[in-house]
Amino acid sequence: MNAAYEFVTGPLAWLAWGIFLLGSAFRLASMYQLAKAKDAPSLAFMSWSYSLRSIVNWLIPFNALGWRKSPAMTVATFVFHICLLVAPIFLVAHVMLWDQFFGVSYVTIPDSVTDILTLVVIGACLFFAGRRFLQPDVRYLTTGKDWLALVIVLAPFLTGFLAYHQLLDYDLMVILHVVAGEIMLAAIPFTRLSHMVFAVFTRAYMGSEFGGVRHARDW
Amino acid sequence: MGIQERLIEDVGLRRGVSRLTPEIIEKIVNAVLKGETGARLKTYAETCMRCGLCSEACHYALSHPGDPSYTPAGKVHQTMSVLLDKKGRVDPEAIYGIAQIAYTECNLCRRCVHFCPVGIDTGYIMSTVRRICHKLGVTPQYIQDTSHSHSATVNQMWVKDDEWTDTLMWQEDEARDELPGLRIPLDKEGADIYYSVIAPEPKFRTQLIYQAAAIMHMAGADWTMTSEPGWDNSDMCMFTGDFEMMGRIKRVHFESAQKLKVKRIVMGECGHAFRSIYDMGNRWDAWKMSPIPVIHSIAYFWELMTEGKIKLAKKYPGPVTVHDPCNVVRGRGLHEKLRELVRFLVDGDIIETASNREHNLCCTAGGGVINCGPPFKNVRVAGSKAKADELKATGVKTIVAPCHNCHGGLEDTVHAYKLGMEIKFLGDIIYECMEKPEV
Amino acid sequence: MKRTLPLLLLAALSLACVQAAFSQQDMKVLAPAALGKLTRPAAQFNHDPHNEKAKLDDCVICHHGGADGKQDKSVSTEGTPCADCHKVKSVGKNTGLQRAYHKQCIDCHKAKGKGPVACGQCHKR
Repeated sequence: MNAAYEFVTGPLAWLAWGIFLLGSAFRLASMYQLAKAKDAPSLAFMSWSYSLRSIVNWLIPFNALGWRKSPAMTVATFVFHICLLVAPIFLVAHVMLWDQFFGVSYVTIPDSVTDILTLVVIGACLFFAGRRFLQPDVRYLTTGKDWLALVIVLAPFLTGFLAYHQLLDYDLMVILHVVAGEIMLAAIPFTRLSHMVFAVFTRAYMGSEFGGVRHARDW
Repeated sequence: MGIQERLIEDVGLRRGVSRLTPEIIEKIVNAVLKGETGARLKTYAETCMRCGLCSEACHYALSHPGDPSYTPAGKVHQTMSVLLDKKGRVDPEAIYGIAQIAYTECNLCRRCVHFCPVGIDTGYIMSTVRRICHKLGVTPQYIQDTSHSHSATVNQMWVKDDEWTDTLMWQEDEARDELPGLRIPLDKEGADIYYSVIAPEPKFRTQLIYQAAAIMHMAGADWTMTSEPGWDNSDMCMFTGDFEMMGRIKRVHFESAQKLKVKRIVMGECGHAFRSIYDMGNRWDAWKMSPIPVIHSIAYFWELMTEGKIKLAKKYPGPVTVHDPCNVVRGRGLHEKLRELVRFLVDGDIIETASNREHNLCCTAGGGVINCGPPFKNVRVAGSKAKADELKATGVKTIVAPCHNCHGGLEDTVHAYKLGMEIKFLGDIIYECMEKPEV
Repeated sequence: MKRTLPLLLLAALSLACVQAAFSQQDMKVLAPAALGKLTRPAAQFNHDPHNEKAKLDDCVICHHGGADGKQDKSVSTEGTPCADCHKVKSVGKNTGLQRAYHKQCIDCHKAKGKGPVACGQCHKR
């Protein structure tokens, strides 16, 4: 147990963060090079103010037409992403680890709240999975890559929840949880989760075109 | 569900596919993907989360409830995704379906932009699919004919040079009966305005040239048209994916205006031509914006209105509804000017359709779809059911639609769904209502 | 006043020693009052069985002295509550109480390759 725990919280954690950070940086850099080589006519129209205008307007729930037309999905998407970020970043136990390993400490949220946020993430994942099974248009579009992304995100939250409540075999669960989290980090640059890295730029480009050239809203 | 269950026989698609082999397809698909696309397509393909939010966007999908193969992402799923996933290794039969979707089941109207949180431009993806199909030689016959006409004559309708000037002189002659001082000035150097039209105007909508001349005359505009190739601002090559020809005809158009040293181009009530001049053609020619100022008729008429140069003898009886053409609304944000103009011209309210301004539902004719001709008319009309429902709900008798393609599409829609509505250009209404001196 | 303060301190210290000496024998959990209401279940720690099992005879291994964030293993401090030196909120270079506990236990367990290292292994429900 100790050797396994030390391995997954030590070398494997460095590897996962390394893949996540360097991988994302590499993908961004190579995508920018590709854009410069092949998408100069698009780059030429990029504008900070219209990019921000678009990003801000899309971050407001029910502001864009698409959000308004699918209310359940909108609620699920916003709540999911907020909880997905807030729960792991401000979880007491995670901040403890930062403190333990690097002596870094910052604000946390109570465990009872994180517990709910985690359940919300799990619930949202189930909602997304349900759509992929039951809603014909989403089912039609769904590929293996989409299931993979969903499972990769669900796993750390599910194992985290089980580990926190010490249900099933705790020692196994905590190691599974750490590994699942690391898989998620490492997967970000190379799976559908890369929208975490790229979406801000695709959104910004659309905002720039619509703001600067088309003089119309893109939300 | 899917395109394979609704293939439509088309001579152009069939003959194109018959010449293909898997090797040719692989080579050409990859040549376009590697040579002409980059980060934009790559990020779109990668970050599409397959969430289905865009299903609510597309009039084709709304008109075929329960059939996901008509949704924007569903259409990408059957076309570009296949080409990317299989790295171009698809058989000729698959290309038939891919081409049919790209040319006839997407109007490139970009309404889905308002539905995609990550900002994917499905219009761009479908344009790129068309580009590949063009390079494969698989294009619907009717639209390819117009594209050939562009290549051969620099206009869309096989209008010969002498027929063009002859038509202008004919319309000038007719109009002088009504407005004796009227001229259609040809090749007038240094004029304020270079007026350009689409080739269907001299071919079968000549009254539009008449009306434009009458409005220019009454507004006292310093304007001209060119007698030389370049007078046609339309661009079906943009829609077939023949971007080389798109660039060539746009260049001729701009240069014919520059040669006359005019201050700016005013173009008739056309949507796709505006897209070509303002967005796609200019960029292919490496102009960030157009090399000479270009404005659409909506903006020009709006200027005339604000400057008090349109004097109305009467107002057009309303209420009316307004159809927002995608290329000048989502493409240029002219929706408010359009409404100000309509309020000025019409006696009565504007009854908006449920989807209006940037969020308008497409006429289902644009993007070259109507130009794919009779084989695909039924598909097109079926796809406009959602639009028909919205139009019907307004309860009005008049649709103001400042775009030729929208007119063509809406006429079919109004007829098929028995809406009993008339469709008007702004020019129709201005001409009908403006003060004209007694002869 | 100047004379009474050290006396008082001495008295308090001896009282604490006696208390500690008594309490450690049947100590089951680490739940210093200084931390107040605990976030997680108190860390389980059976003082005597643990030391027996871990063969810890020398108190100073855990009950170290030191100052300014430096441990001094030559000064044994058994009988002094940890919270006396390790304040809940760390002062200056001194290690905070919670971090001190975590480091004390986990670092040793890691070094020995034995004993609990993950949260729920001590903070059992």
